Amino acid sequence: MPGMAPIRRKALPALLGVPVVLWQLAFFVLPLVFLVVITFWKVRNFKLEPAFDLGNWEKVLTSTPFQRALVYTGEVALIATILSMLLAFPAAHAIALRLSDKARARWIAFLIIPVFSSYILKVYAWQVVLSPGGVLNVAFGALGLPQADLLGGMLSLHIGLLTLTLPVVTLILTFALMGMDKTLIEAARNLGASRAQVLLQVTLPAIKPGLGLAAVTAFLMAFGDYASPVFLTGSNPPTLSILIVDTVKSGSQWPRASVIGVSMLAILALAFVLVQLATAKREVQR
Amino acid sequence: MTRQIDLSRRGFIGAGAALAAGTSLRWSPAYAQEPQVLNYLSWPGNADPYLVAEFEAENNCKVAIKEYVGGDQMLAVINQSPPGSFDVVLADAEYLHLLKEADFIEELNPADYPLQDFWPEFQKFPLHWFDDKLYAVMTDFGYLGLSYNTEVYKPEEVSSYAAMWEPKATGKVGFFDWYLPSMGCISLSNGNRPPFDIDEAAFEALKEKLFSLKPQTAGFYTIADIFSSLRNGQAHLIPGIGEWVTLGLRLDGAPVDTILPAEGGIQWTESMSIVKGTPKADLARKFIQYTTSPRGQVLMATKADNKKSIPSIPGWKLLAETMPDQAEVLRLQLDKPNVMDDWKAGRVALRQLPQQQAIEDWNDVWSEMKSL
Repeated sequence: MPGMAPIRRKALPALLGVPVVLWQLAFFVLPLVFLVVITFWKVRNFKLEPAFDLGNWEKVLTSTPFQRALVYTGEVALIATILSMLLAFPAAHAIALRLSDKARARWIAFLIIPVFSSYILKVYAWQVVLSPGGVLNVAFGALGLPQADLLGGMLSLHIGLLTLTLPVVTLILTFALMGMDKTLIEAARNLGASRAQVLLQVTLPAIKPGLGLAAVTAFLMAFGDYASPVFLTGSNPPTLSILIVDTVKSGSQWPRASVIGVSMLAILALAFVLVQLATAKREVQR
Repeated sequence: MTRQIDLSRRGFIGAGAALAAGTSLRWSPAYAQEPQVLNYLSWPGNADPYLVAEFEAENNCKVAIKEYVGGDQMLAVINQSPPGSFDVVLADAEYLHLLKEADFIEELNPADYPLQDFWPEFQKFPLHWFDDKLYAVMTDFGYLGLSYNTEVYKPEEVSSYAAMWEPKATGKVGFFDWYLPSMGCISLSNGNRPPFDIDEAAFEALKEKLFSLKPQTAGFYTIADIFSSLRNGQAHLIPGIGEWVTLGLRLDGAPVDTILPAEGGIQWTESMSIVKGTPKADLARKFIQYTTSPRGQVLMATKADNKKSIPSIPGWKLLAETMPDQAEVLRLQLDKPNVMDDWKAGRVALRQLPQQQAIEDWNDVWSEMKSL
């Protein structure tokens, strides 16, 4: 009996992890396998029919709308990532390193609340604010300013996407900065480093994995988003998510829609791996 | 690991069987078998109590609706559901031949329905008859043309679809995100009559004309966003929609109207059919009779969020007696200029599926337009 104790002690954490593994198997791995399998199926009379047909891949990958949407969605997600990192970092820096403990907790709560409110609702609210007859233009009119075409372009799209990404990115960066060894900053300052030098040579390298995680998260959210491109640009032009919906709408082409979905997942996985590699290199150097 | 992944052809074919059995478009057969439930496959909102409460009370039954948006989705639902899932289907006229070819709908006895009450033009509506046999009864219709913002445009400025290419319209032309009515109007503007029966050369010309509208485009809208973009001024012109959108908005105070430009407009038509194999054919027939009765027609025309024209002359009369103000705004007055004038003047073409190209070809052009 005494010999059993260490084994049990080791097995318990693994056993506790089993539900999560089962959950991931049932709701991520299996659907993913189905998604890949369906890309080879056919649609006849609006019904899915099992087959092994490479035609869906060929049709989608060589189609101009797909290629254009791929480039466009990549650009949009990249810009959204850069914008949210640039806007989030100063805020995260102030929250993590400048505020008192009490004020910090309050600001973190402020950032968490928007994550739990409906994103679709917020996108619709932006529509009301930005539209030609909307809140902002009414205010412009009252102030004697000219009317502005705010809805239906890059500006409105990125406002929508930032609504989605900014709180999350700010939180990740805040936690990364809170977790860094602050004596490093003090030491650098004592040794005569300027504020810019501290930021570039001490703070940023110290939170590099956090920066990577924040950037990948922003890219992932913007790349897959459906609501902002539909409701704030009128699908003009369509992103890959919109293309998935269009593909299903016209002729129930679930297999071709799955090809787009699998391609998107592959791109996101690639982005994730690249960022992992970039942050891992740093670990080796240290 | 490798033993678990079967990359053979058979593996791919078998692996998704469970998924195929559970696709979301299926209609619950358990519910379908209830004797007092009429299962109705229809565009959204058509089982609104305003429309069906009286029928339900008279026949001691419940109308259960499975809603679809667009003919493609309707075909997908009916193809993927077990036989007997539906008793009545409401479809756009241009999809009926597909329902007929796939053997989904019953032949109807013309004597069962008040066809002689309809406007003579609609008594033998071509898309409802196959080999001189009736398969669907018209319930309502409307016209599609060019909808516009009345604060920006006077009616004479939008008397031609050419208004969409004017500098004034740059970035202000919205589209209903459905290739059929949108491309139909562009086809009309290219002088094609009928707009959906065009040869390859005309199809190429249509494609070029459509693509030349891209710089003018505000967006491609879902049904909900058609209403909001017209209302909030995001779009000033939208082709391929009609009073089914603008009438309700106008009554609500929005500065919008629809015109049938000189090049013509398109008629959409909804009809009801009895689904083949239903054990409730009797109730289904009664439901179609009720909907085409004067009272059913008046309700169909005046539902608050979706105003329509109706084919029944007694329906027009009852509307004029019971809701004269509605008869006026709907232009359903026998003794005044009315919706039938446009039809009689030959200004309206039937909405049909592409006749000489595959649906997919038109859809592909539409997808390309969006992605330009």
